[in-house]
Amino acid sequence: MSGQPLYVLLCSGEREKLQMAAMMASVGAVSERRVEVFVSMNAILAFAKKASNEERHHGGRFSQLLSEKRAPEPLTLLRQGKELGELKLWACSMALDLLGWNMEQLDDELFDGPLGLTKFLSDAEAGQLVTL
Amino acid sequence: MPDQVLDVKGLNCPLPILRAKKALKDMPAGSTLQVLATDPGAVKDFEAFCRSTGNELVESKVEGKVYEFLIRRAG
Repeated sequence: MSGQPLYVLLCSGEREKLQMAAMMASVGAVSERRVEVFVSMNAILAFAKKASNEERHHGGRFSQLLSEKRAPEPLTLLRQGKELGELKLWACSMALDLLGWNMEQLDDELFDGPLGLTKFLSDAEAGQLVTL
Repeated sequence: MPDQVLDVKGLNCPLPILRAKKALKDMPAGSTLQVLATDPGAVKDFEAFCRSTGNELVESKVEGKVYEFLIRRAG
């Protein structure tokens, strides 16, 4: 592994921010950086197994453009990052609790488990933290 | 002659890098991958990618609107 680990705190459910988080995470992972993504708040709705297109694709002008130009889906980029590098995704345990969800409601294969914010931030002290 | 050619023309960031990483993963150390791209950002992206992964960027050039990169897989 090279460079500082990258920690992404992903809270927004807007497509633009999901896309940027997925791009950063996948590029970081294939560039041999360790990457961890903590998914919370509205962002977690996009990772539901049965998420609607509106939940996955809402946002502003760039959300429209990304759909029109058939940019790769954020979840697809994250899957590729996991396949090709060291990329972990954590589901915010508080967000799961508020939604009344467990890990089974989330997209298969992507998540490494539920996690608390305290542990994530503690780990992130050793790397670069980006919030979206 | 490169050992393998990867055509990512028409694809934008970050797909050229992801596809290159996937191709390199299955290639033996010392073998060469030629990447053909049209994304202007790929020039600096492949420089950074090779620097961080230890793969060697043997050549980077542009032919018309196509960017060509020759990468040697690290050991």
